[in-house]
Amino acid sequence: MKSKNTLKKVVDKIVENILFGTAILSASFIVLIVIVIFERGITPFISDNDGLGQVNLLRFLTGIVYLDGPTFLSNAYGIGYLIISTLYNAFLALLIAAPIATLTALFIAKIAPRWLGNLLRTIIEILAAIPSIVYGLFGAGFILNVVYNLSVSFGVQSAAGFSVLSTVIVLAIMIIPTMTVIAEVAIRSVDKSLIQGSLALGATQTQTQFKVVLAAAKSGIFTAAILGVGRALGEATAVALVAGSRRSGITFNLFDTTATLTSTMLLGMKETVGLDYTIRFSIGLVLMVIILLTNLTLNFIKRKVGRMYA
Amino acid sequence: MNMHFKKGIWLTGFATLLAACGGTSSSVASSTASSQVPSFNAENNIVLYTRDTTSGTRDGFMGGIGFSAAAKDDNLLTEGFIIADNTAILTAMSGSDKYGIGYVSLSSLNANVKGLTFNGIEASEDTVLDNSYGLKRPFNWMLRADGDFPSDTVENIAKAFVAFMTTIEGEDTIAGAGAVALATNTRWDDIKSQYPVCDQDNSAITVRFGGSDSIEKVAKAVTASFRPRCGNFVAEHEHTGSGDAWKRTNGAQKDEAVGKDVGFASRNFTAAEQVDLNGTALPSEQLGQLAWDAIVAIVHNDNPLSNVDADLLKRMYEKAAANPIRTWQDALDAEAAL
Repeated sequence: MKSKNTLKKVVDKIVENILFGTAILSASFIVLIVIVIFERGITPFISDNDGLGQVNLLRFLTGIVYLDGPTFLSNAYGIGYLIISTLYNAFLALLIAAPIATLTALFIAKIAPRWLGNLLRTIIEILAAIPSIVYGLFGAGFILNVVYNLSVSFGVQSAAGFSVLSTVIVLAIMIIPTMTVIAEVAIRSVDKSLIQGSLALGATQTQTQFKVVLAAAKSGIFTAAILGVGRALGEATAVALVAGSRRSGITFNLFDTTATLTSTMLLGMKETVGLDYTIRFSIGLVLMVIILLTNLTLNFIKRKVGRMYA
Repeated sequence: MNMHFKKGIWLTGFATLLAACGGTSSSVASSTASSQVPSFNAENNIVLYTRDTTSGTRDGFMGGIGFSAAAKDDNLLTEGFIIADNTAILTAMSGSDKYGIGYVSLSSLNANVKGLTFNGIEASEDTVLDNSYGLKRPFNWMLRADGDFPSDTVENIAKAFVAFMTTIEGEDTIAGAGAVALATNTRWDDIKSQYPVCDQDNSAITVRFGGSDSIEKVAKAVTASFRPRCGNFVAEHEHTGSGDAWKRTNGAQKDEAVGKDVGFASRNFTAAEQVDLNGTALPSEQLGQLAWDAIVAIVHNDNPLSNVDADLLKRMYEKAAANPIRTWQDALDAEAAL
């Protein structure tokens, strides 16, 4: 009897350790990535860069010109303007996508008949799986034209549609499916008793949907927003095809060309060597820090908001 | 409620169909209407398109218009320029941007865009070869030093390859791949006796090609054409940029895994690249030119501009130009003054 018990205990312990091992393995990938990017990304600031001299960290983080001087001959990189335009583009896209995603999720979860809800859910899930390059090609082939014609009707001459507006539209289209899926799950799991209570008190369907359901699902909708912003901040291929590769200057004008940290990392990566190549790791490092800070901030806000509707 | 949604879906689908068909029919309507409305407003600003600073085509273009400082420096260009690759520039000029100007390699020029004449000369194979068309860059090759190849067989094949590029068959292949081949009278059959290595079976031999990726298409076409003529050796291509041509055949990386036997560059070799690691000048048999690549400035087909010169283009692209050209009217006036 005793040996059977110890055998079971041993088996349990082994399985526990295996699971622990796989968890460590998964976590170790992120550590590995951070270490490699950090090691390469730090190099321009502490080494001589083959005679070009160290890159000035302060100028790198606050500069509004991507490179002052000729490529391969200068170390005066500055990505301050890129940080601002990346955040600007991502949050503007969130501003457009969030209402659309939330209301679509509300419709699918609460208002649509079962057959329609399933159909829409399938369509949205397929959209969420479309690769970013396809969104980029769609943007380059269609959105650029639309924005160009729009700019002409406003009396502003946009450069073939490459603009903040095109970038924001493409990003919004990309993050809507992801956000809808998550928000829909959150809305569906709102406690039925809350809804029934509200209806029993005399509120209309619409009042219930907006004041009770959405409020109760706020935490989940916020999670959707966090993931949406995360995807928007990290999007490279689609943005590179519609942004216009701005090399200097901060602008908030919707019809001006723009660039993001990711699209700049991507541009010219194939043909470049030396400092111009390594500096992309530094940009990647800055991007990772920004995504981390954004996530922390949004999570903090979510906890504060969530506390209002425990 | 159910019927209400079904109707909604049908209506949406129907409306989308109408919009899609309407889109095509309205473009027909607008093209007939355009005869009444001027389709090109010369008061509009010029939108500049350029390649990235690491592009060989940009190097060639900026050098050709006397603005080489801008080949690597974006800050010298006029505000509002768009950085795009070859395909994106062509797409923009062929439809989406009527007020743009860009530049592409002659081999990518198609009928959807309007190629501008340079100093009155239209870009074509003949005008490049007789040197009347000035906006061009050389396609150059470079070999490893004698005895520095992985084996004598590889060395002999590489030298035979270089000789092949100067024969009629080689030049035909180069021209077929889009570059402007240099004139020649030699046939491969006349000279192949000088390269007995090509009579052997070389299917176990690998020759490594690298360097400029602008030349990749031409290089691959030539190796594909030469292989059956020289024992079917294996041609390994890894094109990573003109800078790697010297670096991987005679420079710092030549003995590493990425080292190459034949390197290509879409520009002239710099002074630092014409010597070996000890500073000794490379013998003339180790480098040479295989073709020209002409660069053509392009605009939209509706654009009335047709002729430019280096100064005009420079005044468009240069931010700090003394006499800048910023609108299409300025450009047309400058063209008239040529």
